[in-house]
Amino acid sequence: MTTTKTIAEKAVSKPTRRDALKTLALGGAAAASMPLWARYAGAQTSEPIKVGFQVHRTGIGAAYGRWYDRTTSAAAALINEQGGINGRPLEIIAEDDGTDPKRGAEVVEKFAAKHNCDIGFGTLFSHVVIGSAPRAGELKLPYFVVSEGHHVASGMLNRYTLQPGITDVKSQVQAMAPFVADNLGKKVTMVFPDFAFGHDHRDYFTAAIEAQGGEVLEHIAIPPTETSFTKYFPKIPRETEVIYHVMVGPAVLTFVKELGEFFGPQRPEIFGFIDSLEAVDITSPGLEFLEGTYFWEGNPRYAQENQSEYDAFFRERVGVDANGASVSDPRDVSTYAHMFGCWETLHVVKAGMEASGYRGTQDRAALIEAVEAMTDMPHSIAHPQGAKVFNGKTHQVFGKQYISKVVDGKLLLVHTTSIEDTFYPDEVDYTTQSL
Amino acid sequence: MTAKLSDSARELKCGLIARIFLFGSIATIGTPAFAHTSEGGFVLLLPTDLYIASGVLAVALTVLLLVFLSDKWVSRIFRPVALWPLPVGNLPLATSLMSTAFLLWLVYVGLNGPRDPLANPLPLTVWTVWWVGLVFVQGFLGNVWRWIDPWRGAVWAMRRVLGPRPVFRFPTFLGHWLGILSFGGFAAFLLADIAPSDPARLARVVAFYWAVHFLGMVLCGRRWSLRAEGLGMVMQLYARLSPLGKRGKQTAIGLWGWRLALGRPVPFGLAVMSLLLLGSGSFDGVNETFWWLAQLGINPLEFPGRSAVVWQTLIGLIVANLLLLAIFVAALWLGFTLGGVQKIRLGEAFCIFAPAVLPIALGYHFAHYFTSFLVEAQYAMIAATDPWARGQDLLGLGEMYVTTGFFNVQESVRVLWLCQAGGVVIGHIIAVLLSHALAVRHLGAGRMAVVSQAPLALFMIGYTFFGLWLLASPRGF
Repeated sequence: MTTTKTIAEKAVSKPTRRDALKTLALGGAAAASMPLWARYAGAQTSEPIKVGFQVHRTGIGAAYGRWYDRTTSAAAALINEQGGINGRPLEIIAEDDGTDPKRGAEVVEKFAAKHNCDIGFGTLFSHVVIGSAPRAGELKLPYFVVSEGHHVASGMLNRYTLQPGITDVKSQVQAMAPFVADNLGKKVTMVFPDFAFGHDHRDYFTAAIEAQGGEVLEHIAIPPTETSFTKYFPKIPRETEVIYHVMVGPAVLTFVKELGEFFGPQRPEIFGFIDSLEAVDITSPGLEFLEGTYFWEGNPRYAQENQSEYDAFFRERVGVDANGASVSDPRDVSTYAHMFGCWETLHVVKAGMEASGYRGTQDRAALIEAVEAMTDMPHSIAHPQGAKVFNGKTHQVFGKQYISKVVDGKLLLVHTTSIEDTFYPDEVDYTTQSL
Repeated sequence: MTAKLSDSARELKCGLIARIFLFGSIATIGTPAFAHTSEGGFVLLLPTDLYIASGVLAVALTVLLLVFLSDKWVSRIFRPVALWPLPVGNLPLATSLMSTAFLLWLVYVGLNGPRDPLANPLPLTVWTVWWVGLVFVQGFLGNVWRWIDPWRGAVWAMRRVLGPRPVFRFPTFLGHWLGILSFGGFAAFLLADIAPSDPARLARVVAFYWAVHFLGMVLCGRRWSLRAEGLGMVMQLYARLSPLGKRGKQTAIGLWGWRLALGRPVPFGLAVMSLLLLGSGSFDGVNETFWWLAQLGINPLEFPGRSAVVWQTLIGLIVANLLLLAIFVAALWLGFTLGGVQKIRLGEAFCIFAPAVLPIALGYHFAHYFTSFLVEAQYAMIAATDPWARGQDLLGLGEMYVTTGFFNVQESVRVLWLCQAGGVVIGHIIAVLLSHALAVRHLGAGRMAVVSQAPLALFMIGYTFFGLWLLASPRGF
């Protein structure tokens, strides 16, 4: 049922691939050294392909926005060095959506009406996606989100909204259950914030662990305004083998510290989602208790021993070191588990535009169809996080998930799921909607 | 386990006190727009209870000290030291004209430059360099506004064309209310607009604001600048607070507020403006706390964006300012009643003592924006070297990555937090001293000055507690 495969077991890339990578990089460098007119001389027009980047510059998503911006800039620079898309340069037009759905819809409108963008791209927070997607659909603006939300695959959006660069939370959560049941325990207590984000985890994981023959002994929902958690821990049943936690917000560090103080050395296994500690240094004081615990990671923050050359290349281009921090400041930890989605999505856009012979906004529908026709996306420079399978009907990509263990203050990859672990039955067929 | 329970109980108690206090006063420290979870997380792990107690104690001890110290000593510390005469001639007019040209260029870039507010020089100059940076410098050091005021030179040039006399006489019955309205509009835009940093939106607002006031100044003369242009009025007030200033023809330096302590009471409108500065600055922060979001029924971990709270923010801003005015006047009235003060009416007293809150407002301004400034200043540097976001490096800074790494380490978060708290505490200590010096000067030395100041002093001690508590509070965005 589960094809468990650790990175250690994975075949190392063949020299030919490495050579190809070098050639590509050299080609990119050579292209970059050419003047602009020469670089894009093969195209019918040297007008740039305009990508409207809906970025969370302010508001609750700002920390993610900074890294999404950095990754997007790096991906665009690479694509341009390689000759752009269909011989045309890529231009990123970034607009701040304030992590606000109403503003998000305004921004989408500006992309279409004012900036004449070819596509909209890059939104992370679900409420902004949900607030913006209807407008993108009305304006027939291809809207490539990097959100992780299940809203795309659930069918609540429209044919113009796609998520081809990052997997959704439903697939991530359900893919964790086999590992948890087989390696950590079958009796689980879930601790989650008492709102939609936590409820999604509660619902998806409970169903998934039951499918593995396990059970959730207790669901402990924590009010979002809570800043001290000691009073909730006695609710954890004694027979609990695994605690599954997905706390978010400023009180996360307090949560971990108090959990450590509550259990001491005699603790059950602990499994969490890195979303709780995204952009947080795992060696921070108070987080010592995490030693030996497990995390889902969208993309391993620490470069592993058998790191792929694609991951190394991705880190180098974005300016991230082997610990997942900025090369200019080792304390500046990136949002590594998520930001690859921007890089991969832009590469999907490039592939889609090239496959459809995209010339301008009149070809937006053809671009949608070209992306819908995609299936396998091999592990490559374009997909440094890993191979993926795109589902054209649900507009959602599926890919490998990573489980890491905190060892000596670093996240060590211990398990990689198969792509099949993340599949679930289709809930929508967007291709039946008109373009 | 027991220890943790007692911690929780203490937090609960502290929270209750704070909630009770909130109904009596409004103040806060805000959050940087770009801070992320880890900074807030580390603040929650700091022993902020201890820090808050120390800060409040420092202000309370200052109050106590004033009871025992001689009144002459208090008056003496506000005496400035003369430095040197500094004739500058028409130089400020020239720099003001340059400032106007720069502003017009910024508006142009705002309309036509990069759309990203953290890449476009307009929002970074207006919000980061001017509002966060230069407004603080104005109060902390001296009158920089004189040199960068974008109207003065342009109005002077227009006068050369139109003649020296204004076309209209400024209607004196309006007092300073146009200026207060203008500042209120600015505060509402800053706090409640859904995208105040959007370059094109901001460019239009800046151009409109500049043009309206330029017209007013040309038509009504200097009085328009002093009474109707709200931001200039803020700068006037902070210039009076700053340590560097003019005494006669000499440049002099003294403790913050020496000109307020020695000068004439400010007009009623400026007294109101002093409190509005504190009230608005305080609310800009309350509105980000878990507490406020909970009052609005909003999940702080899932803040839906500014568009969802526009009216709530506007109402909150108005109520916060009215509440602060009411509490301040009540404290003043109570003090005068207890002290049996007869020779000064309440209205006059308000004009004398209201500017004493300016050091607090400046301390809050610093604390509120300090951390966000550390991040946004980096973006401003990048925009300075690459104003059109075309990959230029005009200043030769090399490749720059913006970092927020200092929010990720407990020690640096502790240092940052203590700097912010220090700003709040020092602001309150100076306010207490200034208020007492004003009382000694206007009411005379002795018991009357002390007793009449007691409610105001209590108000300031409470405000210190509340400000520090909010600095330590979890925030939603």
